[in-house]
Amino acid sequence: MATTSKQYKAIGEDLWKSRTDKINSELFSLTYGALVVQLIQDYEDYAVVNKQLEKMGYNIGTRLIEDFLARSSLGRCSDFREVGEVAAKVGFKSFLNITPTVTHSGVPPPSARPTSTVQQSGVPGSSFILTLDENPLAEFVELPDEALEGGLWFSNVLCGVLRGALEMVQMQVQVEFLSDVLRGDESTEIRVTLLKYLEEEVPVGDD
Amino acid sequence: MQAAPVSALGTLADPPARMVDGAAMDYLLIEAVNALRVSSAVASARAKKIERDMVEAGLVPPPPPTAKQQNPRDSTSSTSGKISGPADEDEGVRSRLEAIGMHIGGNFVERLCRDRPLFSDSLDVIKFVCKDLWVSCWDKQVDNLRTNHRGVYVLQDNAFKPITRISSWEGRQEALKRAKLYVALPAGIIRGALSRIGFQGTVVPEITTLPQCTFQIKLPKNI
Repeated sequence: MATTSKQYKAIGEDLWKSRTDKINSELFSLTYGALVVQLIQDYEDYAVVNKQLEKMGYNIGTRLIEDFLARSSLGRCSDFREVGEVAAKVGFKSFLNITPTVTHSGVPPPSARPTSTVQQSGVPGSSFILTLDENPLAEFVELPDEALEGGLWFSNVLCGVLRGALEMVQMQVQVEFLSDVLRGDESTEIRVTLLKYLEEEVPVGDD
Repeated sequence: MQAAPVSALGTLADPPARMVDGAAMDYLLIEAVNALRVSSAVASARAKKIERDMVEAGLVPPPPPTAKQQNPRDSTSSTSGKISGPADEDEGVRSRLEAIGMHIGGNFVERLCRDRPLFSDSLDVIKFVCKDLWVSCWDKQVDNLRTNHRGVYVLQDNAFKPITRISSWEGRQEALKRAKLYVALPAGIIRGALSRIGFQGTVVPEITTLPQCTFQIKLPKNI
C-alpha cells in the first residue's frame, strides 16, 4: 500500500513531537558555524573544507540512520521516489524540524544498461531535489567574498549525512548542492542521484 | 485572557524558540571532535613546515635542541615517555573546542540576557550562569555552588549532560580520559558567556568520576 505524502508528513510530525530531547536550534547553528570557521582557518582551502564537511556528514549519517530506523520503524522504501519523500518529510523533520520540498526527477531513457539484479523498482540515474526553505545550520550566517569565490558550500555536511545514511540502507548515491541562499542564489537545493543499489555484504571479520 | 490580535503580535515580536533534535547535536559534536583532530594536525604540520622553511632560508635561527618537556597540566600523560605526540594533538583539539565554545557562549548569552536587567555583582553573574545558562544548554541547574568570596567559584554538576553518555569499550579510565577532552567545549561556553557579560575569567573543568563534573571559575577582583 502506498503511503501518501500527507501520511509521511503526519509520521514526521509525530516523531518530532515524541522526541523528548530537544535543544535550542540557535545553539546548534552557533556550534556548526564556529566549527566551519575553525576548519577554514585550519585548512585554508575551501575545496578541502567542502570535502571535510562532507566526510564529517558521512560519519554522522551512518549513525543517524540507525537512530532514524529505530525511532520510525518504517519499512523498506519501495522505490527511489519514496526514499525522497521519507527523507524530506520524516527524516529532516524528526532531526532538524524542517520539511524541505521534494521534486522528483525523471528516469533516464530506457537505453540505459540492463538492470537485471535490481529488486526494487528504482532505476539508477533517477534523482530528487530537496529544496530547503529554511536551514537551521545557516542561521545568522553571512559568507565573506573569499568564501563565495572559493566555492564554499556552507551546509555541505547535509550532503554527507544523506550519502552516509543511504549507503547504510544499500543505496549508493551522489549528493550535491545545486544552489544556496548564502551564496546569493534564490533557494537552497540539494540533488540526490541514485548511482546503484549495493549488495548486502557481511562485515569484515564477522562470521 | 488577552485579545487574539495582541497575542498574535506578541508571537511575531518574540517567536517561540526553534528547536532541533538533541541527538543531532550529539552526533555533530562527536564528529566535530574527530574532524578537529584531523584539521589541527594539518594546521600544526603546516606551521611546522613554514618554520622549517624559514630556518632553511636562514630567516630565523634554528631552535635549540629541546629536551621533550613534560606537560605538567596534562593529567593524562602516561609514564612511558612518548607523550609529546598525543599530548600536543589533544592540546590542539582542546583549544579549538574551547574557542568554539567561547563563540557559542558569547552569542547565546546575548540572546538570553536580552530582557534581563543589569547584573548587580559577580555573584549575580555566577548565579545566572548556574541557573539560566545551564538550563538553556543542559536542561538542568547546577547542583552545587561554592565560593571563597574572593573571586573563585566552584560549580558542581552531578550529572553533567554532555558526559552522561560517554562510555568506552576500553573501560572506565579510558572513558574518563575522553570525557576530559569533551568538556572543553562546555568550559568554553561558560568562559565565552562570562566574557560577553564583561568578566574576563578562566574556567577550568575537572572530572574525577563520571558523570560528575566541576568547573572552577576565577573572576578578576575588580568589577
